[in-house]
Amino acid sequence: MLASITEFVAHFHPSLVHLPIGFLLAGLLLQWLSRKEKYKSLQQAATIVLLGGAITATLSAITGYLLSISDDYDKKLVGWHQWMGISTTVVAWMLYAWQKKPRRYINKNVIAVILLALIIITGHLGGSLTHGSDYLTRPLRSSGSDSSSNAGIKPVPDVQEAVAYNDIVKPIFETRCYSCHGPNKQKGRLRMDDEQALMKGGKDGKVIEPGNADKSEMIRRLMLPVDNEDHMPPREKPQPTEGQIALLHWWINNGADFSKKVKELQQPAQIKPVLLALQQAPETKKDFTAVPATPVEKADTAIIEKLKAKGIVVLPVAQNSNYLSANFVTHTSIGNEELPLLLSLKKQLIWLKMSYTNLDDSHATAIGELKNLTRLSLDHTNITDAGINSLKTLSNLQYLNLVATKITAQGILQLKGLEKLQSMFLYQTPVKKEEWAALKAAFPKTQIDSGGYLVETLPTDTVQVKAKKY
Amino acid sequence: MTQKELNDQRLVREAQQAVLRMHSRRHFIKESAMGLGALALGSFLGSCGRRDSSSMTNITFDPAHPLLPKLPPFPGKAKSVIYLHMAGAPSQLELFDYKPELMKMDGQDCPPSLLEGKRFAFIRGVPKMLGPQAKFSQRGQSGAWISDNMPHLATIADELCFLKAVTTDQFNHAPAQLMVHTGSPRLGRPSLGSWVTYGLGTENQNLPGFVVLTSGGRTPDAGKSVWGSGFLPSVYQGVQCRSEGDPVLFMKDPDGMSRDLRKASIDAINEVNSQEYTTYNDPEILSRISQYEMAYKMQISAPEVMNINDEPEYIHQMYGTKPGQACFANNVLLARRLVEKGVRFVQLFDWGWDSHGSDENLAIDVGFINKCRQSDKCITALILDLKQRGLLDETLVVWGGEFGRTPMQENREGKKMPFKGRDHHTEAFTMWMAGAGIKKGYSYGETDEIGYSTISGKVEPFDIQATILNQLGFDHEKFTYHFQGRPFRLTDTRGKVIEDILA
Repeated sequence: MLASITEFVAHFHPSLVHLPIGFLLAGLLLQWLSRKEKYKSLQQAATIVLLGGAITATLSAITGYLLSISDDYDKKLVGWHQWMGISTTVVAWMLYAWQKKPRRYINKNVIAVILLALIIITGHLGGSLTHGSDYLTRPLRSSGSDSSSNAGIKPVPDVQEAVAYNDIVKPIFETRCYSCHGPNKQKGRLRMDDEQALMKGGKDGKVIEPGNADKSEMIRRLMLPVDNEDHMPPREKPQPTEGQIALLHWWINNGADFSKKVKELQQPAQIKPVLLALQQAPETKKDFTAVPATPVEKADTAIIEKLKAKGIVVLPVAQNSNYLSANFVTHTSIGNEELPLLLSLKKQLIWLKMSYTNLDDSHATAIGELKNLTRLSLDHTNITDAGINSLKTLSNLQYLNLVATKITAQGILQLKGLEKLQSMFLYQTPVKKEEWAALKAAFPKTQIDSGGYLVETLPTDTVQVKAKKY
Repeated sequence: MTQKELNDQRLVREAQQAVLRMHSRRHFIKESAMGLGALALGSFLGSCGRRDSSSMTNITFDPAHPLLPKLPPFPGKAKSVIYLHMAGAPSQLELFDYKPELMKMDGQDCPPSLLEGKRFAFIRGVPKMLGPQAKFSQRGQSGAWISDNMPHLATIADELCFLKAVTTDQFNHAPAQLMVHTGSPRLGRPSLGSWVTYGLGTENQNLPGFVVLTSGGRTPDAGKSVWGSGFLPSVYQGVQCRSEGDPVLFMKDPDGMSRDLRKASIDAINEVNSQEYTTYNDPEILSRISQYEMAYKMQISAPEVMNINDEPEYIHQMYGTKPGQACFANNVLLARRLVEKGVRFVQLFDWGWDSHGSDENLAIDVGFINKCRQSDKCITALILDLKQRGLLDETLVVWGGEFGRTPMQENREGKKMPFKGRDHHTEAFTMWMAGAGIKKGYSYGETDEIGYSTISGKVEPFDIQATILNQLGFDHEKFTYHFQGRPFRLTDTRGKVIEDILA
């Protein structure tokens, strides 16, 4: 009970500390101003404000000490913060005493400058304790650091030769646990980056029972539902994958050894695929909606407006992106103006959908100049082999939809040079059955969908089951 | 006083009363100085502790053009969604969650450990266990377990991504359906389709952005709220269309009314409405004006897109449609046509999956099988048809019910039922997704050996909603709507994108 009251009092520290900062800074300001004849009268106010500052600084120091013994912070950082805080309090009292009764042997201004420095240093150290030591300068550094959640784990070249702790377990701890149980913070007095500290556990005891994962507090906390208060890592933090939990479980069951290689440990059937998966880099994701990584300047809004006025949907592909998509959804009859307008957007235009329009070969040359296109839908149009030749230049194309057009196998073969093409749709084209094999051979990297799927009618599809009585 | 003066007096009085009637609470607050001060204080307080607006998804609502397409925060994989809701909740134990261990327990009393502290919709006392009432095999290269009840779907197992450990916390149909579609078991929240059309608008301005099609003879238990717009502007609610007769009720011109006359009358109504708008500035009036205009355009475009008769015969055979009737297969074919025409969100409800065993149609070995037969072929056709048209890449298909069914046989009121059936079960059921950047031929999550509760990969409706929004280009935590002094989101305070199923 006493401990919890102490802790309760201690928890006032983070809010209390702002009072002496404010009081003392105000006191210093008043004192400085009162040097001038005009503000002479502020002298008395300065004394009172400094008294307030000294008292609240004392309270902050007491609650701060209580907090440092009841909670779990980086000892070194806390030590500095503690002594700086106590110094601030002492110097504040000194300044107040001087103010009440000036002494000759020491200059008031020297005390004031020391006090100012102490406030700044103590405040900064306190901030580093609560927000992390990199908090202040974080915005100045590159912003890519938040991807550390997943990226930190590199594939293991040969998992059997790997050291179980160093190569498998530690990277999981690093990316998921160290931010609260590492060198900077030891929440629940648990420190995991040090082998001995890890085995010693936290304030509630051991977290790892070597050889018995199911009895280990760490595994229990990992397995709790995410919204349970005891679940680790806390809900708002990046969570380990199931495979990672399985690996920790396996490592603990094998005695939580820090030096053995994977091949020296027992490997039940369930863990084998998880271990094997560590050898592979996370699969690179095929991105059908790919947007080029290089930024592009903003397109001319006047041109976009002209296209929009015709009922063509022209939109950036996302907020904060200048790349454009265009869809001729309700504008199905193309005149003379549309393609020249599109051409002036050729830097930005990456997705183009002209399905069900009256597009024909005469428009194809212009489309061939839209070199940044990654997705192009020309299905249900009048384009033929003559027009398809112009698309050869679309070297960024990943998706090409030619469903229900007159394109033949010969026409498609002209596109052989399109290196990035991932998928092509040729349903309802005159391509003959015997030509598919040749096409697929000509486009080894491309998924060609011939369509024409059938769902044959089974006898059961149309028959109703009747009831039997029980 | 002359009669004329009396009349004039009455007219003036009536006019004054009319004005007073329009004087709503809002106007009162607006016009009173105190109210203004209070409002200012309210918004001042409201801004305290709110996350800064830059971290929120910025969606501008243009009441005059509420459905114009908008851009997502990041490039989405999905452009459209087809959500197939099997209302009543199909049995996962007869479709996708194969439990041979449960067969061994068939007919035995349910162990007390499964009943302690649990509540069921209908099960009372000690029920008997009910083994799987279907034959299962592993299908495709992915080896997904699919029962013989869905022989067609079994052929495209490698296109689907199964969520085997879905859970919910609602065991009655209406709240559970609301949970799945609006993120809350209670009425009043906007549905998924409303959120999506609010956030993204729709590409085709001649058709609604959010279309609802129902079959199975009943609308879902939760009523039209499952496609309601909640506190979002009402223009984002789902538009229910019918697969036979007039696609949208009351949209056809009455006999004798020409299209020109219709145009003239809509123009007149819109003129009156815009005058109202200048007086009251209520954005709902602008929405109403745009709705009239859309209705006029839809008189042409809706019957066109809803007319499945112009599909070739082999497509009808593929889907197993029944032209001229209202049925699920027709709706599924319509869904493809709508998505092809740029409709953002197509929501299908098929009622009749509530297999309690209380009568023949609700028996797990009779009515349930018939429901499977009615939907198996057309859903398979939908996936394949979207695929061959190059649309599966950008269309997210979601299949599921509002909860699952118990591994125990239902014993309503503790008595034996006339047919085999299962009660509502919230702790584990199966859903699947396909297309639009979702892994193909993948199963996520598993249940225990009798399919009672989840072991791994547990997801809840919020997670599925978060994933759907993610595929459309939204961060579900930042996609909010400010209402009654605080930002609301579809996933409330929960929800995590199911990263493991993203391709």
